Amino acid sequence: MSYEIPMGPYHPALEEPYKLDMVCVGETVKDAKLHIGFNFRGIEHLAETRNYIQVVALMERVCGICSFIHTLTLCQAMEDLAGVTPPPRAQYIRVVMGELERLHSHVLWAGIASKLMGFKTMFMTCFELREKVMDVLQAISGNRVNYSMNRIGGVNRDVENPLALVEMVNELEREMARTVIPIFTTSTTARARCAGIGVLTHEKAVSCGVVGPVARASGVTQDLRKQAPYAAYGEMEFEVPVEQAGDVRARLFVRALEIMESCRILRQALTGMPHGEINIGETKLAFRTGTATSRVEAPRGEVMYSVSWKEGSRNPNRVHVRTPTFVNMPSVRWMVQGARLADTPLIQASIDPCYSCTDR
Amino acid sequence: MTVLEKTIENPAASELWNPDLWTVDGGVWWMKRGDPSESVREVAKAMNAVGARFITITAYQLPGAEGFKLEYHWDLEGRLLGFAFNIPGNTVESIFDLCEAADWIEREVHEGFGIDFSGREYEPLLLREGDTPGVNLRETTPAKPVPGSAQQEVKK
Repeated sequence: MSYEIPMGPYHPALEEPYKLDMVCVGETVKDAKLHIGFNFRGIEHLAETRNYIQVVALMERVCGICSFIHTLTLCQAMEDLAGVTPPPRAQYIRVVMGELERLHSHVLWAGIASKLMGFKTMFMTCFELREKVMDVLQAISGNRVNYSMNRIGGVNRDVENPLALVEMVNELEREMARTVIPIFTTSTTARARCAGIGVLTHEKAVSCGVVGPVARASGVTQDLRKQAPYAAYGEMEFEVPVEQAGDVRARLFVRALEIMESCRILRQALTGMPHGEINIGETKLAFRTGTATSRVEAPRGEVMYSVSWKEGSRNPNRVHVRTPTFVNMPSVRWMVQGARLADTPLIQASIDPCYSCTDR
Repeated sequence: MTVLEKTIENPAASELWNPDLWTVDGGVWWMKRGDPSESVREVAKAMNAVGARFITITAYQLPGAEGFKLEYHWDLEGRLLGFAFNIPGNTVESIFDLCEAADWIEREVHEGFGIDFSGREYEPLLLREGDTPGVNLRETTPAKPVPGSAQQEVKK
């Protein structure tokens, strides 16, 4: 006999609003239905009432973890409409901030995943590492969450001594290689709780159009930093980690390996940062009539912005945001089918969902 | 021969990227429509044939009572492909049966603009049971400017 178990709208793992109605037989989940929108804010509509300076600050609030990525994507689209190109140093600073944000996001996720596995020591270790990344973000931008770094035509603040940050990157990489990665790859607890759990097959991943680490953990080679390079990514050398198993463990591996690759990119960007201006100055911008689209590889996958403008207008005609969690979340239905009920919080968390982005 | 015909006939054809078949604008390769009746379902089939990944649908409300403009986006090995068309009313064919990834996107557009995707059923996504679709982004009355700011809402 089957019965229904509602989980949420208060998420058991992530303390965010989201609901999963599961149909179970015994302890096994047979099907699930997802509900979102509990915190819907209407940001796309609000964007139509903001001018080109205000809209950057507004879109930074779409997400609390990848706030830099959202303004970067928006600014790239608006730079296309304005016909301006940021200076090379600004492009490098954008890479540095983007990768620091990826580190912060992935380490945060590793901590939460550890907590869900019942591995609280690892949770503490990950959050200690995350704090170091947050300190660097604060040292560069003066802020810990909404960095206010991007502007149309460049960035607002310089990285004054890039080489001084290299040691932090090296230390983080050493700590990841010494503790986090070996424990995640060899620990019995991690293996027992993650291997073979929440499998998303390659076929289903392609069919659902999932993005980011969720796609790469199911064997889909896809990373916009390689396939459609933006900012200064075209000048960076790095690998795109891909796993085939499609389970929670594979998602854990992909993110852990991406942390190492982010350190590699950061070292290149910090040591090779060109001198010069960081933005195009106080030029009054004029936007052409039309639509521009920009895509960026956020920590959770592809973010896409379409910005439509009418020449002479103060406000955008339309700002459309497609966030990675919005496409990754429907796949949770397939991941939890056949899983044990007790594993579902970890499975849901394994896509690293961002409800703030989803309920934008 | 349209891009669509070329794609369906021979998905691996190198001449697929012939600039005569596409218009590149705003970072997107827009598919040139050979025939005005070419439907989004045919495009979706062609995109499936070449292995393109569906990304999203962006909807725009046209001025007055003219209807909507819909932009469908796919990714093919890092290249952003687009197919845009206007609809006079508020109904368009669903591609959900051809493209599973379009499910939530169509539901989001339906709830934001009140556009109906024919041939499928909906359940509330961002809205709650009993809420009215179209209240989020469809403009029925002009939006008010932000209190205290000098800016004016520009009429679309």
